Amino acid sequence: MNKFLLILFFVMSVNTNLLSEDNFEKGLRIAKESYESTRGYVDSESDQLMILVDPKGNEVIREISGKTLENDDPNDGDKSIIFFNKPKDVEGTVMLSHTHVNDDDDQWLYLPALGRVKRISSSNKSGSFMGSEIAFEDFSGNDYRKYEWEFIGEEEYEGEICYKLVSIPKYKNSGYTKRISFTDKLLRPRMIEYFDRKGELLKTLYFEDYQLYNDKIWNADTFRVVNHQNKNKTIYKWINRELNVGINKKDFEKSSLLRLAD
Amino acid sequence: MIYIKILNFTLIVTFIFSFNVNALEYKLYGLVQPEFSIFTNGDGKHHQSKNNYSLFTKGNFISYLDERDAKITISAIARYDEKDSERRYIDFQKLKYEQYFENYTFKIGNEIIFWGVNESFNIIDIINQSNLAEDITGTKKLGQPLLSLAYDNNYGTIDLYLMPYFIKRKFPSKNGRPRLALEVDQNSITYESSSKEQKLDFALRYSMVYDDYDIGIAHFHGNNRAPQLNINPSTLKFNPHYTTLSQTSLDIQATKGAWLYKLEALSAKDGNERHLGVAGGFEYTFYGIRDSQSDLGLVIEYSFDDRNSNPFNNDSVAALRWTKNDINSTSLLAGMFIDMRGNSNRFIAEYEQRINNNVKLFIDATFNGSIDSQDFTYAFEEDSVFSIKLARYF
Repeated sequence: MNKFLLILFFVMSVNTNLLSEDNFEKGLRIAKESYESTRGYVDSESDQLMILVDPKGNEVIREISGKTLENDDPNDGDKSIIFFNKPKDVEGTVMLSHTHVNDDDDQWLYLPALGRVKRISSSNKSGSFMGSEIAFEDFSGNDYRKYEWEFIGEEEYEGEICYKLVSIPKYKNSGYTKRISFTDKLLRPRMIEYFDRKGELLKTLYFEDYQLYNDKIWNADTFRVVNHQNKNKTIYKWINRELNVGINKKDFEKSSLLRLAD
Repeated sequence: MIYIKILNFTLIVTFIFSFNVNALEYKLYGLVQPEFSIFTNGDGKHHQSKNNYSLFTKGNFISYLDERDAKITISAIARYDEKDSERRYIDFQKLKYEQYFENYTFKIGNEIIFWGVNESFNIIDIINQSNLAEDITGTKKLGQPLLSLAYDNNYGTIDLYLMPYFIKRKFPSKNGRPRLALEVDQNSITYESSSKEQKLDFALRYSMVYDDYDIGIAHFHGNNRAPQLNINPSTLKFNPHYTTLSQTSLDIQATKGAWLYKLEALSAKDGNERHLGVAGGFEYTFYGIRDSQSDLGLVIEYSFDDRNSNPFNNDSVAALRWTKNDINSTSLLAGMFIDMRGNSNRFIAEYEQRINNNVKLFIDATFNGSIDSQDFTYAFEEDSVFSIKLARYF
């Protein structure tokens, strides 16, 4: 009986909280819950394929493989290492990133032609990733800490009722003034519209091929981006993705770049 | 020479042994690159040729053993040149076996090791010999046989290198363009060290990352990679003399947003004389210029050396790098080198763009402005050149 009362009390207090929540708090809560539902992956490994399509329909293929390491520090970002395979002229190039939430990342590039590891500036998070319609900052676009949020209603998207959220980047060098995202009731982002620095609609990112990994984490295995201004498209696919593989943490340090490069 | 033989034997045995592993995990890639050069000042100071063709190729083989705890790397470059016999060569840039332990890496074989942070004035980079036949400014290197042990922990990395065999500097032949004022007589080499090319060179480097700073401290002792070139009055050729060098160096890069600040400094005892060198500068990048995806980077570097004889004793470079960030990775680098002591200057431009997934085009230009007749680069005053290179990757 005591237990029942306790639960009842708990449920009521949660409901009271929810009722008193304004649209900013609600937006932030949904974004936070959505982000947290993707955490706990520990580390991951995958091959990635990118298809760049121009308005005439010409296609160019990019191939990379990558590893990421989850950062336990709630105030800091994850670490990643990317191996470039195609186009062939960048084969052997490796990029290491230590990401930070609202600050520039730390980035090193191993350039095989020079046999040299270079620390590079990363204040261009808004820059294009390998000539695609995806910017560096889009890869961590689900990190709620990077935006101010607002819930603006519910709307149907592909037959499902989704939360519609507005997010405004906190990062000063962001390429966007605003994003409008549709997040479904499983807390999975389904679609994001990006508005450029002039406030005009720039592109739409569609999250497709959702897979449930390790029985707990939903990941979209395809990002499809349509740029409304230059009419280019990018299809980004994750292949052979594995979570919680037990990668040595040292692989994500600068001193390991030469060892991992091939 | 015996060291080389032992090294090569060890590597070849390891290599053959590796094929007995059933699931050999390996990677093979490289490029073939025809090149054509047109010189704009006729035949040149030394009656070379108005144009030249050349073929460059590079192959890489990488194989993992022992559940990725060991790696074999072979990276070879080769060139055929129409006019310059010194540009017909093969070099094993990498021919090495590496074994990884928890905090240690052991390495044996040919390797390319780069030290430094600068774009242009790489004054502290000392492990590898320069191949001046490949590039007269010394940026292209030859593989160095070595043994190395690296130890790393949370505080940084310590690398120890033992170099049992010395690689001589490669110079352009008398038909090469550009070339030095006189031919270099590779049969009349002398050394300060009585062990000559078998002198056991060593180097130690500590490197670390602290916040926005990448820092390296190093010491090298061995045959100087840059020989003194003394005129032999009877042959009228340069005779190279390699002194013994002890060099202590520091390199720092600070990465502050779109700004990179770079510094390399060294103090060295070369033969009996001590000298000091400092080179550094900055790089700033304007991202997304004029609301496009293009970036424009500005690089300014300065080099000082307290020896008057050093060609880079008071030199600077200012360059602009435009990166289009398009599907073809189009980029253009244009820069001006100024010798602030004399009155010499040189303009360079490097354009590149991908033609398709496997082919990339490079167009390089070098224009020599006024060159002081006392400057060693006076020998290439008339060697302004356009080069076209087409790389086919496999």
